[in-house]
Amino acid sequence: MNIDIKALIVEDEPILAEVNAEFVQRNTNIKVAGIASTLSDAKIMLEKFNPHLVLLDNYLPDGQGIELFDYIVKKNLSTYIIFITAASDMDTCSHAIRHGAFDYLIKPVSYERIAYSLHKFKLFLLRQSSPKNLSQRQIDELFNLQTKDFIETKKNTKGIDALTLQRIQSLFINSADELTVEDVTHKAQISKTTVRRYLEYCIQTNFLRVEIRYGKIGRPERYYKHIAV
Amino acid sequence: MTKFPLLFAQKLFIALSILFALAVFIMHQYINGIIETNLYTNLGERAQIQAKEIAAIPELALAVKNHDLKAINELVSLINKQSDASYIVIGDKHATRLFHTQNVAINVPMVGDDNQDVLKGKSIIIISQGSLGQSLRGKSPIISDDGVVGIVSVGYMLDRLDELHKIQSYPFIIFCVLLFVVLFVFSYIFSFLIKKQMLNLEPKEISLLVKMQSAIMESINEGLIAVDLNYNITHINQFARQFLNIPKHVDNLNGTNLFLYIVSPNDLLRNDDCLIEDVYDRISHFNDEVVIASRIRLIFNEKIQGWVITFRNMNEINLLSKRLSQVQQYADNLRALRHEHQNWLATLLGLIYMQRYDDAKEFITRQSTNNQQQLDFITDKIKVPTIAGLLIGKFTKANEMGLELQFDPMCQLNQIPDKLIETEFMSIIANLLDNAFTASLAQYQKSAVKEKKIVYLYLSDATDEYVIEVSDEGTQIDEAVKSSIFKLGVTTKTKGDGVGLYLVKTYTEKANGYIEVNNNLPQGTIFSIFIPKEYDCL
Repeated sequence: MNIDIKALIVEDEPILAEVNAEFVQRNTNIKVAGIASTLSDAKIMLEKFNPHLVLLDNYLPDGQGIELFDYIVKKNLSTYIIFITAASDMDTCSHAIRHGAFDYLIKPVSYERIAYSLHKFKLFLLRQSSPKNLSQRQIDELFNLQTKDFIETKKNTKGIDALTLQRIQSLFINSADELTVEDVTHKAQISKTTVRRYLEYCIQTNFLRVEIRYGKIGRPERYYKHIAV
Repeated sequence: MTKFPLLFAQKLFIALSILFALAVFIMHQYINGIIETNLYTNLGERAQIQAKEIAAIPELALAVKNHDLKAINELVSLINKQSDASYIVIGDKHATRLFHTQNVAINVPMVGDDNQDVLKGKSIIIISQGSLGQSLRGKSPIISDDGVVGIVSVGYMLDRLDELHKIQSYPFIIFCVLLFVVLFVFSYIFSFLIKKQMLNLEPKEISLLVKMQSAIMESINEGLIAVDLNYNITHINQFARQFLNIPKHVDNLNGTNLFLYIVSPNDLLRNDDCLIEDVYDRISHFNDEVVIASRIRLIFNEKIQGWVITFRNMNEINLLSKRLSQVQQYADNLRALRHEHQNWLATLLGLIYMQRYDDAKEFITRQSTNNQQQLDFITDKIKVPTIAGLLIGKFTKANEMGLELQFDPMCQLNQIPDKLIETEFMSIIANLLDNAFTASLAQYQKSAVKEKKIVYLYLSDATDEYVIEVSDEGTQIDEAVKSSIFKLGVTTKTKGDGVGLYLVKTYTEKANGYIEVNNNLPQGTIFSIFIPKEYDCL
């Protein structure tokens, strides 16, 4: 990892800013180019240092950190933002997500979480800088990286319990019937919302397929049917 | 040196006094002049007539003609006794004095040099210097058969005239003085009354007050109407005009009847107690708008002159009190939060003191963990930033409403349906969630057991369909109503406009999708939306 990553820390609490800076430099080897305690300082430093990354606190004495997103777009800077906001201010967070923040952290931030985020950013920059011509797979990877998908979470396992799945699948195996959500709910004694998840999972894994029929009053109904192997 | 400023009433008094004094003075001068002129004219004519009468005595003419001094003396002395004239002089045709009642030298030319016209046959009235001094005299020629033979001159001394004049003027002067005194007193009382009427205020102060008053009336955010006993408007402020929809071009409302603008019969305005008592803060209706109004009697000189009606929009007051109670709630929350914070810090200090650093770390991190996990979960599963933002917003909103928005662990979204634009897809999700929140909240408020209501969202594009499923723990929807809930304008909410589900249906159908509505168990509703990924394949 030989890229020199410059970071700017925007935080109005001096001690916290220093601790953060030290943490960043010691644990992730990212160089801290500066610490800004106000929004206007942050803007000046952004242009002066042109950092790769900003650790941005939302509450600043002279305005909200979120304003910096527009500033970066306006000034056409190639800076990424890791946005930090208080737990009570999730609204601003959704705003930051829409504006494409690299990551979003909620105060009080655990240092493991910061380290994780910074690590991700290093990988992101590294991959971005290596090949000139990106393949679609690489582009996908890049995008996935930015949206945190790079750690291969075991897909489709969370929320699917083997026993419940078995119980539902057995309903279909043992009969040739087509079943609606209602039927499955009734027979398996599982809540409807859970049933939907499992049924959709079964479609995903090509165990079931869906047929749509129009009922008595013209409303479509979904019938789930076992795909016989 | 600062001038001592005169008050308005004092100025008025002084001005009136000066005016009256001037008027009395001019009147005096004028009348005095008339008296004097009259006096002169009267005396002159008297002198002339006497002169004429004396001249017309044939014996006198004969005596003058013959220069019979003795006869003249006898004749004129007799006449003189009857006359009030100062003197009577008889002269011959050469203006030589033949007789003088005051024993002035005889046979000398008559003094005054004013006899030429008389000798030509005219009688005249003249003021001139005679042998006795300034006098007013009437002169007449004595005419016999052979022409003018002599002159009769009857004179009144001016000194005497002045005396007469003075005697005539005295009562008038007294009258003038009395008049002046009366007017003086009048102006004093008048200015005093004015002062009292103006509530001891100076005109400047009054005009300032009037201006200030109208400025105040226009600026207050409250309707204000003053009416007389016949409910004719005497004053109305801007707020009231707007509230009653009185068009701007109706410039002068003063005098028009209030019931032209407040149509419905109104117990506040037409009330038996109107004359007896004031009414405060009564809920009333002005043209179907609910207002809180007061009616205050306008009493002047112990008589009711009309009423002042003030009112505020009831809705605004409700809004205000709602806001205030919210502020109260915020304050309470803040206090609770502060308390919590203190405990938090105390715990932290304890952990650090006992060097249980890992516990302290965990304790702190726990505060943000839930939100951070939700955030990470959403941004991990939902790859469309706008949708992720929307879901975070809804998650927060649910928390604020005292609900919980749970995301199904199998949620995932990589892109939005081709046939929909981002805002349309967002609209489907947002409307379903909002409805679920409202329904759950209503149920929460109704139910006796205060359990946190959960709204459940399943959003997936894992198969060849997009599936959006929102379930709430509100009320179940009747079978009969189910087919109508998607129609425009149909709403079960007390404050709904019936647009939300209509949009959901419209956008879903646009993307060739369909909607299922099921009952949740044990309570609530599940909306499921299925949108095919490639609609051509169906």
